[in-house]
Amino acid sequence: MSVRWQETINVDDLWEGDMTAVTVNGEAVLLVNIDGTVRAYSNRCPHQASALDEGDLDGETLTCAKHLWEFNAATGCGINPDNARLTSFGCKVGDDGTVYVDIGR
Amino acid sequence: MSKSRLVVVGGGVGGAAAVVELRKEGFDGSITLISAENTVPYERPPLSKEFLLGAPAADSTVEDAAWYEQQEIELLLGVRGTQLDLTARTITLSDGSAIGYDGLLLATGVRPRILQGIGGEGVCYLRTVTDATELRDRIRAAEHVAMLGGGFIGCEIAAAAIQLGKRTTILEALPSLLHRALGPALGDVVAGIHRDKGVDVRTGQFVTGVQRRPRGGVRIGTAEGTIEADVLVVGVGTVPNQELAEQAGLPTGDGIAVDECFATAAPGVYAIGDVAAQHLPRYGRHVRVEHHDTAIRHGRAAARNILGRREPFSDVHWFWSDQYEHSIQSAGIAGDTEQLIIRGSLEHRSFSAFCLDGDRLRAVISLNRPRDVLDVRRLITHNHSATVDQLRDESVPLKRLAAPPSAVTVRPSPLLQRGHRMGQDTCRRIGHRRTGRRHHP
Repeated sequence: MSVRWQETINVDDLWEGDMTAVTVNGEAVLLVNIDGTVRAYSNRCPHQASALDEGDLDGETLTCAKHLWEFNAATGCGINPDNARLTSFGCKVGDDGTVYVDIGR
Repeated sequence: MSKSRLVVVGGGVGGAAAVVELRKEGFDGSITLISAENTVPYERPPLSKEFLLGAPAADSTVEDAAWYEQQEIELLLGVRGTQLDLTARTITLSDGSAIGYDGLLLATGVRPRILQGIGGEGVCYLRTVTDATELRDRIRAAEHVAMLGGGFIGCEIAAAAIQLGKRTTILEALPSLLHRALGPALGDVVAGIHRDKGVDVRTGQFVTGVQRRPRGGVRIGTAEGTIEADVLVVGVGTVPNQELAEQAGLPTGDGIAVDECFATAAPGVYAIGDVAAQHLPRYGRHVRVEHHDTAIRHGRAAARNILGRREPFSDVHWFWSDQYEHSIQSAGIAGDTEQLIIRGSLEHRSFSAFCLDGDRLRAVISLNRPRDVLDVRRLITHNHSATVDQLRDESVPLKRLAAPPSAVTVRPSPLLQRGHRMGQDTCRRIGHRRTGRRHHP
């Protein structure tokens, strides 16, 4: 599958320890900045598809507000429950700070 | 590791979480999980919600049967503990067998309170997947579904029944729905939500008797007249399954009394989840809750305590209830629901109701404001200070109520005083760090 980098926000608008939701080709994407590294996930909780940006990011722990499922925002792995996993998307930051996301289409 | 044989009585999410944690923590002794149900532990929350709407039950096991085999966890399904001998450290099971234990975890949960004289054909109680399967079939076949009790079970099943196109009635003795959990003002908001969806909500109704109709269904007598329904779901609270502990002479009241580390009065015997009344210093009393999240947290924490760590439980109690598009959540333990401080709007069905004790938050109950619940959940375990005005004022972020870390006095460093200064580059990186950590005032 060819990589399709789509332009989103500038990293200046996403502080360390913060998260934000963007739309990429109609897909709700969550961007998180953990210690300066930006990662992209589907903005839908794997439990019941609730928007994750309405939850809480505390350090590396992302908590979905709907039923308190917890994830490691650096890896996408579930903490509680630990057999869940966030859907991860390709993500890179360009020289000018533009955050690019590849959702595979 | 001092324990070699651990026995868990009860196959709910709490017991399951405990055995998962035991193995994860490296316990390599033998583990036996005893459940009165014939299935491996599964999630109960969907049973009163999406399961009734048609979602398959198979999706909701905590771990599948193969996992228990892989982990060498013995499953004894369809049996219950009937006698506990604390001296011999044995438990007798309903099939007549007896097993010894070094460590015993009682996770027996609760059962629905049965109303005397109300039962039989057409009357349903809900606790297990077997109950839920029968209820689902009965609701499907029904024209009119009635709920006796407007607590969480009654409200959630009513929401499912009306979504399935059934005529639905809730009969509640108290003046509002969810009255005990939320108090009258918030309970009225929930009643309004159900009425708008078409549920016939009748509060202040005392049921005088239930008769079986000759052609199926029931005739429900109330002080105001008779109601006919094809199925009557009774959800009027629960009874803790504490008989095993009681008979063995362990201290019980409303639940099995345990300390912060889940220990009962008997060496090697612990209790968790819905059946456990845990003494918590934060509240200065024994607290028994029937929250899904708490049961899981109990299971994990108790496993670590059984393995010899002393980890007092201090997690904040939290629960949710999804009804239609609405989400009710609560964190902490609400004391007096008459004294709630409201942020947001009851009328617009978006609010948080806070319980304040002096300047400290004890609990929050929210409708459609889950962020507030997350914030309060964290504040409760941290140093904070809140006033009534701050809580009412939407412009005050709840996070701000956290006490700032002890103030740091900034003095010029001796190096700077002597004329040194930071290089320009350093200044720029500190002052304009593109991805600097946000400062919370």
